[in-house]
Amino acid sequence: MIVFDSLTKRYGEVAAVDRLTLQVGRGEVYALLGANGAGKTTALRCLATLLVPSSGSTAVDGYDSSAAPLEVRRRLGFLSASMGLYARLTPREVLEYFGALQGMAQAALSSRVEELLSRFEIDAFADRLCGTLSTGQRQRVSIARAIVHDPPALVLDEPTLGLDVLSGETIHTFVAESRERGRAVLFSTHTMSEVELLADRVGIIAGGRLVAEGSIAEILAQGDDVSLSRAFLKIVRGTA
Amino acid sequence: MNFGIVRTVVAKELRETLRDRRTLIIMLVVPIFLYPALLIVVEQLALFGQRQLEEAPASVVAQGAGAEALAILRSDSSLIVATGREATPEAVLRGEMDLLLRFDAPGGPEQPRRVELFYDGSRDRSLRARALVAARLDEFADTLLARRLSVRGLPGSFAEPLTVADSSVASAERLGGYALGRFLPMILILMTLLGAFYPAIDLSAGEKERATLETLLTTPVPAREIVAGKFITVTVIALCAAILNLASMLLTFQFAAFQFGGAIDIQFSLPASTILLVVLFLVPLAVLFAAIFLGMALRTQSFKEAQNTLTPVQLASMIPMMLPLIPGIPFSYAVAVVPIGGVALLFRELMSGSAPMGPSLLALGTTIMYAALALRFAASSFGREDVLFGTGAADASASRRKLGERLADWRRGGRTLPRPAESLAFVAVVALLYFYLGITIQIRAGEVGLLVSQVVLLALPALAFAFAGPFDARSTLALRIPSSAGVGAALLVILGGIPVGWFLAWVQGFFLEIPAEFLTALEELVRAESTGELLWLFLLVAVTPAICEELVFRGALLQGLRNGMTMSRAVLLSSAVFGAFHLSTETVIRFLPSAWLGLLLAIVAWRTRSIFPAMMMHMVNNGIIIAFVAWPALGERVVSPDGEPFWPLIPIGILLLLVGVRALPRPDPFE
Repeated sequence: MIVFDSLTKRYGEVAAVDRLTLQVGRGEVYALLGANGAGKTTALRCLATLLVPSSGSTAVDGYDSSAAPLEVRRRLGFLSASMGLYARLTPREVLEYFGALQGMAQAALSSRVEELLSRFEIDAFADRLCGTLSTGQRQRVSIARAIVHDPPALVLDEPTLGLDVLSGETIHTFVAESRERGRAVLFSTHTMSEVELLADRVGIIAGGRLVAEGSIAEILAQGDDVSLSRAFLKIVRGTA
Repeated sequence: MNFGIVRTVVAKELRETLRDRRTLIIMLVVPIFLYPALLIVVEQLALFGQRQLEEAPASVVAQGAGAEALAILRSDSSLIVATGREATPEAVLRGEMDLLLRFDAPGGPEQPRRVELFYDGSRDRSLRARALVAARLDEFADTLLARRLSVRGLPGSFAEPLTVADSSVASAERLGGYALGRFLPMILILMTLLGAFYPAIDLSAGEKERATLETLLTTPVPAREIVAGKFITVTVIALCAAILNLASMLLTFQFAAFQFGGAIDIQFSLPASTILLVVLFLVPLAVLFAAIFLGMALRTQSFKEAQNTLTPVQLASMIPMMLPLIPGIPFSYAVAVVPIGGVALLFRELMSGSAPMGPSLLALGTTIMYAALALRFAASSFGREDVLFGTGAADASASRRKLGERLADWRRGGRTLPRPAESLAFVAVVALLYFYLGITIQIRAGEVGLLVSQVVLLALPALAFAFAGPFDARSTLALRIPSSAGVGAALLVILGGIPVGWFLAWVQGFFLEIPAEFLTALEELVRAESTGELLWLFLLVAVTPAICEELVFRGALLQGLRNGMTMSRAVLLSSAVFGAFHLSTETVIRFLPSAWLGLLLAIVAWRTRSIFPAMMMHMVNNGIIIAFVAWPALGERVVSPDGEPFWPLIPIGILLLLVGVRALPRPDPFE
């Protein structure tokens, strides 16, 4: 469903992502682990068609991100901790707006919006301006916004960054649900417990390159440690 | 283009914008409340001030006034008239009195009498005393005249050999239109600009700052539809702000005229057709502002940065807006093409009821063209990743470092040529220095000052830029020995280009008049009485600019533009800059001939990759002017006194030019 094929993204002389190759299948949750500046966000932005690769390619559901960016966006739900909401719109208006931009018909959009408002318990504040909502409430609206068009693939860039435990839990439940619905989920994070809880497979990225990949057990074996954090550090430092 | 999506974007942007307090204030509160409030405040302040003046009578000291004059002065209850002999004009200055009158001793009964008034022109009370006393003195003069006529037995009409009865044939509406046409265009255009300013920033840089633009760009909507939606929103808001302002101002002025009653025979109303035309012409202007602001704000990363970037543009836009305020500026074809200014003058003409068709259509056409260019500029920036996410973290950290460290970093980064932005910034600094310092030096030191300013303010900075910067100085100044074929081709280009330049100047003469002061100054400069003076003139007018200006324009500027632009763009931009450099405060007529010369020089410098052929061409061009001074008969044969060129030279010139351009090195072996 999600494919990175030797993706490279350069800024001048610096390669932010260097020949990254990985795949995420339907119903699979893939965790991309890496330190700050490792190239996770750049790689995900290339997949989401926000950045143009220097070489290599990315694809979603068979559509190349460079050749068919609009088809990729139709099939992708993108959520990042750094993405904002329109402060002067209400959650209902936000969902209606993004649904309309996804080309959804009015009737289908209305029922989908009601479904999402109810599913993420947004009803109570659905008609308040987003600027007045708490961080947790905004995160629930952002999740609903990302899947308003019911995409088969999800990209979550550090989705729990800055969230409290309760709001983080909402994300975890949502990821687990997405897997059950057959979505391919690719998420980046620093939080090892999150990886252990959610990921079917893990990729470790350092200096823009994928330095390790596999199930959690395989990563632990490669890092020669029983702790995922320590295994990660050993792999990244090249001491494993 | 999916117009359904554009409509969705517009609806959302309008809804969000109308929930923004800043936009609402500019769009609704200012027009609805500002003008009536201003009217009331100004009226009340004026009344208050008048009352203050009237409540306290003016103190006047009259010296040498006879009983009759004193009686007339004292008949005015607003004056307190004393007769102290000691009073001096300094006492008026100290505020001890408001006015001092000094009557000369009376001569014979038919001798003219003289009275001096001393008042303080910087004090309202003193000015009012002068007006009151002047009225009384007129009355006194009439009394004296009537007495003299009576003594001679002459009728009162004897002293009025001519009675002037003047009356304006303009109707009250026309007078109102004239008055409105003076200042309303500026306010109207300013409000359109302000109406576009904040929404443009909010919908672009504001979106980036709030991190919603990234969210928006993950939707399956092409960038052009998003930018179209944003652009339409900004245009609609700018237009609404302008229309509300227009309506509010007209209503306020009409109310003011009604309040004054019959005191003034003027009506501040515009015919519906005029209002409709004004609104129609506002549309491309609103498009222009929306596109410029949106395009520029999109290139910034935050609301604050966008404000800082757009404010100079806003201020620069205000200059052409003021054209209608300047008396005597005609609405000609030449001013019709001035961005913003053309439409401002068109509004003045429309409101006065006499807009000429040709310049009006030209103003509309050029504004639409400017708007289209601005729109292209705005669209080109949207969706670009460097615009969306900046140029990378390295640049962000660089901006936080001290200026000295950044300068040191800049100097360490060795490159062959400067970047276009660096060259343009250099020329901007040089042009400003030349404008402010150069003119001062030339005024103080005359011809020597001209020479010094060229060397010190043009040549030396260009050398310093090339040698002190992190570039290869030889490449930056294009100091390369050209081939003999290149030099020959350059000679053909300039010999062919000069007559074509005369032709362009002659055509320009139909639209732009050459100011007499400009011609006089030119004649003063290029006068030579002896061979020595002629040689000095050649050094001053031909050799010095050929070296100094070429180092700046075909050296530092063109070579920097080469490093990132196509030939056509770099050549056009450098020639436009060269033309602008030759603008003066008196006239714009030098722009076209200079830009034409700049174009020829830039083509040759680009193709030969050498500055020396351009220096030679520049010297030939200016040297021909000297030749015309030395041999006036020659000059008159090729260009008549009214500027008409000797026509057979034009096709010959075009032929030489084409042959010369074709003979230039091609393709450029160094590209």
